[in-house]
Amino acid sequence: MPRSPTTADAFNAVAEPRRRQILDLLARGERPVNAVVAALGLAQPQVSKHLRVLRAVGLVTVRGAGQRRLYRLNADRLKPIHDWVKSFERFWHERLDRLDDYLRELQDKEKDRGPTT
Amino acid sequence: VAPRPEPAAPDRELTLTRVLDAPRDLVWQAWTDPTHLARWWGPRGFTTRVHTWDVRPGGAIALDMVAPDGTAYPMGGTFHEVSVPARLVFTGTAVEDGDGNPQLEVLTTVTLAEQGGKTALTVTLVAVKVGPAAAGALAGMAAGWAQQLDRLAEDLGRVGPVS
Repeated sequence: MPRSPTTADAFNAVAEPRRRQILDLLARGERPVNAVVAALGLAQPQVSKHLRVLRAVGLVTVRGAGQRRLYRLNADRLKPIHDWVKSFERFWHERLDRLDDYLRELQDKEKDRGPTT
Repeated sequence: VAPRPEPAAPDRELTLTRVLDAPRDLVWQAWTDPTHLARWWGPRGFTTRVHTWDVRPGGAIALDMVAPDGTAYPMGGTFHEVSVPARLVFTGTAVEDGDGNPQLEVLTTVTLAEQGGKTALTVTLVAVKVGPAAAGALAGMAAGWAQQLDRLAEDLGRVGPVS
C-alpha cells in the first residue's frame, strides 16, 4: 500500500522553482496543461512531469471537462507548509530576542564595572 | 490591471532583521565566541552545549540544545564564509534519520552593519533540504517551549501576590 503523502513530501515538491511557478499559476484558477505549458515556456513532457509530482503529494488535483483535463491547486495541502515555516520563524525570532537580551546584559555588566583606569 | 495574486507556494527563504543596541564588534563576538553563543542560541529555558563552533571557512559546527525535560536537539553544520566583523555564512543541519542523515539543512547568512553605534542584523535562512523526519521535529520543540511557559505560569501562581 502506498504511504500517504507527508508535509515533508509537499515541502520537497515545492522546492523546485518551476513547480512553485505552476502552483502560483494554478492559484489564479484551474488550467489545462497547454495553458501551463504556454505560461512557463517549457516543453509539455516537463510540465506533465512536474504536474505528476504535485498531484502525487496532493498539492494539485485534476478533473476531466469534456476532452480536457483541468488542473487545480489544492491549497489545503499548503497549510502544513505555512505552519511549518511559521514555527521555524517563531523559533528564530525567539533566538534573536535572547541575543538582544544577552547583549544588554553584557553591556550592563561593562557599565557596572565602571571605567578602567 | 489585475491585482498580483499572493504566491501560492511559500519560498523556503526567510529574512529576519533587527537593530541591536550594541556595537558591531560585540554582536560579532556574541555570534562567533562559543561561550557567548551558548548563552542565547537555544529557545528560552533550554541550555546549549557547544562542542564545536569553528568559525572559519570549512570549520565544523556541533552543539546540543537541551530542553527543560532533558531532550537534546543536536545541531551540526559547516561554516562557508567568515568576514570579520560583517558576514557569516554557514549551513546548519538538524534532525537525523535512523542512519544519521540530516533531515533539515538550512543555509544561514548573517550580516552585521553599523548604524550609528547600533548594529543592524540581517539573518537570511534558506531551507536547502527538509526530510520526512524534520516536519515533526520543530513541532516537538514548540511543545517544549509551551511546557516551559506553563511551568513558569504555575511557579508565578504559587508565589502569589506579595502582601
